[in-house]
Amino acid sequence: MSAPNEEYASPHSQLSSHFFGDLLDSIIVDIASECHRIARLGLDRNLEEEEEELRLSAQARVRVADPSNGGETNGKYVVDIFGQTHPAVANEIFECMNCGRSIMAGRFAPHLEKCMGKGRKARMKATRSSTASQTRHSRGSPISLYSPYSNSNRSNGVDDYCNEGGLDDQ
Amino acid sequence: MSGTIVNPKPCPHLANYRKKHGLGGYNSLQNNLKASPHGKTTILKDVSQAPRCNLCSTNKGRLYFCLICSQIYCFLSPDSSHAFLHSQSERDHEIAVDMERAELFCVVCCDQVYDPDFDMAVMCKQIKELPCNNDCVKVRKQSSNKRRKVDDCGASKDLTLLMDAGPSSCLPLGLRGLNNLGNTCFMNSVLQALLHTPPFRNYFLGDSHNREICRRSSPCLACDIDAVFSAVFSGDRTPYSPARFLYSWWQHSANLASYEQQDAHEFFISMLDRIHEKEELSNSQNKGAGDCHCIAHRVFSGVLRSDVSCTVCGFTSTTHDPCVDISLDMQHAPSLAEKSTKTGKSVGISTLTGCLDLFTRPERLGSDQKLYCQNCEVRQDSLKQMSIRRLPLVLCFHMKRFAHSHIRKMSKKIDQYLQFPFSLDMTPYLSSSIIRNRFGNRIFAFDGDESDMSTELSTEFELFAVVTHSGKLEAGHYVTYLRLRNQWYKCDDAWITRVSEKVVRALQSYMMYYIQKMLYYKASDDLDCFEMSTQESAHGGCC
Repeated sequence: MSAPNEEYASPHSQLSSHFFGDLLDSIIVDIASECHRIARLGLDRNLEEEEEELRLSAQARVRVADPSNGGETNGKYVVDIFGQTHPAVANEIFECMNCGRSIMAGRFAPHLEKCMGKGRKARMKATRSSTASQTRHSRGSPISLYSPYSNSNRSNGVDDYCNEGGLDDQ
Repeated sequence: MSGTIVNPKPCPHLANYRKKHGLGGYNSLQNNLKASPHGKTTILKDVSQAPRCNLCSTNKGRLYFCLICSQIYCFLSPDSSHAFLHSQSERDHEIAVDMERAELFCVVCCDQVYDPDFDMAVMCKQIKELPCNNDCVKVRKQSSNKRRKVDDCGASKDLTLLMDAGPSSCLPLGLRGLNNLGNTCFMNSVLQALLHTPPFRNYFLGDSHNREICRRSSPCLACDIDAVFSAVFSGDRTPYSPARFLYSWWQHSANLASYEQQDAHEFFISMLDRIHEKEELSNSQNKGAGDCHCIAHRVFSGVLRSDVSCTVCGFTSTTHDPCVDISLDMQHAPSLAEKSTKTGKSVGISTLTGCLDLFTRPERLGSDQKLYCQNCEVRQDSLKQMSIRRLPLVLCFHMKRFAHSHIRKMSKKIDQYLQFPFSLDMTPYLSSSIIRNRFGNRIFAFDGDESDMSTELSTEFELFAVVTHSGKLEAGHYVTYLRLRNQWYKCDDAWITRVSEKVVRALQSYMMYYIQKMLYYKASDDLDCFEMSTQESAHGGCC
């Protein structure tokens, strides 16, 4: 497209500009008409509220990132709201409901895994407990009984990654 | 946005036109309406030639089709409007239709005007032209929408039975740390959210699942959940070890039972599945997931609608599927501006509403995915669009922060910040809104529209729990933040601390739990009820 300066523009580019202008005007009015309807019918979103939320969020991020803001966000706790402190590894002691031994809370899961014969190796074997017959009623996938929709092939443009969702924890 | 369409008042000229001509003009206009497969409508006067102004023969500017004499007139600017001139020479020829968009235009007011009957006429034409079996547009059914009562799942008065006369009794009910039993923060974080999901909480505290009565022939996860509720709401503030619950869950989910890092979302779904299963077994009538009465579905189950349309003829096939949560792809914020501008406005931040927009946008399926169109009888390029047919009481959003590459055989976590609101209006994502938008936002009863009279359910939600994940994919930590009576609490395994709102706003959220607004405020009332009854017995040392 050439500049709108008619002195230097050739008749051909003048014509192109002209058509472009017409097309552009048409599109602008289309959009204005659409927005007009949305606004008049009360279908528009509350932009003020949305902007306020964005503003609060930006403010919050700035304040939280500021190290002089005190220890609200760092992981170190002194006391909880009840005035209690807790060790890094939970030290409550109770009886394992599988074998009866006394176990410390923070080490219960690894103990139970061995105790129940579960874990990676056990997962390979087919279990014959009553729970197995129960799980046959479901679709068998631990993810979701109701897989709501197929989200295949949504390309997000994240290189060649596609999203699946799950995150592991410690 | 409240979800109700405002019926705009007609301008005097439109009112005049209606008085004189009633619906006659709209009906005969249908001969000139042309519907497109994409839901838009235009005016077509003459198939053989392009439209031109009756007075000057131009085809520039905006062209308007007079409703009374069916002639076309141009409009270049408010000062240069043959449409207006026409209304001066022919009395009462004041209402015309924009040919490009089939919108009513008052040439005197020089403004777009609206009439539900006109929209109805346009929609009727659309319906006639659309390939059959397109159930996007249905005339509103007469009172077949049963009054959907808000189900808070339990009697709140039972909560007053649980007392704690100790000095910390003015802190919210049920706030109690959960011990990490060894890589179990994924479980603790979801439990905290569920413990404070009001209808879920009311169900268990209200003794709806009675452990004594429940048949113990098969292990019942709901019984163990009930035990956790009792323990956490007992008034004891020392951290609780959900050991029996873990044992019970591992018995049910053999394939997930292991001491290793796990995903909180997976755990959440697994829990709901187990609760449902038990209900399904003990309850002979299986109505199907949409109407399931197990507590898991009553609280979390909604219905999603999926429309797949042929881009050539517009034929649409619709399916409805139940869902207990919504998993959203992360929105890609433009790489330029994550920083705030001087005015404090954030440019290019990814937001929850942005992700919901992505979720409900019409998606062009690739040309390698041509679907068979029943109308065209060949495979055609198709559009797919999701929307929410029915909202649940409690909405759980799950952000897909896990990106997996098949090529590189690597996974990575997306740490990008996501802005999420404390109050959320789901109206724009409802099927009725999405379909209405597809047809140009006409005033018309689209499938899914429920008149306000017939339901107590609203589209407004309040955030009450956020589950965050920090750290790497393989080695990270889950923490839950709870909003109780507008105060936020951080639940980090055994540690319960108070945090300010700004800390929550700045979080990297992984799962967000929203509840219908009126249930949120009702839940606060429940907590107040508890406070009032213990005020006499509380001694000093108030939090």
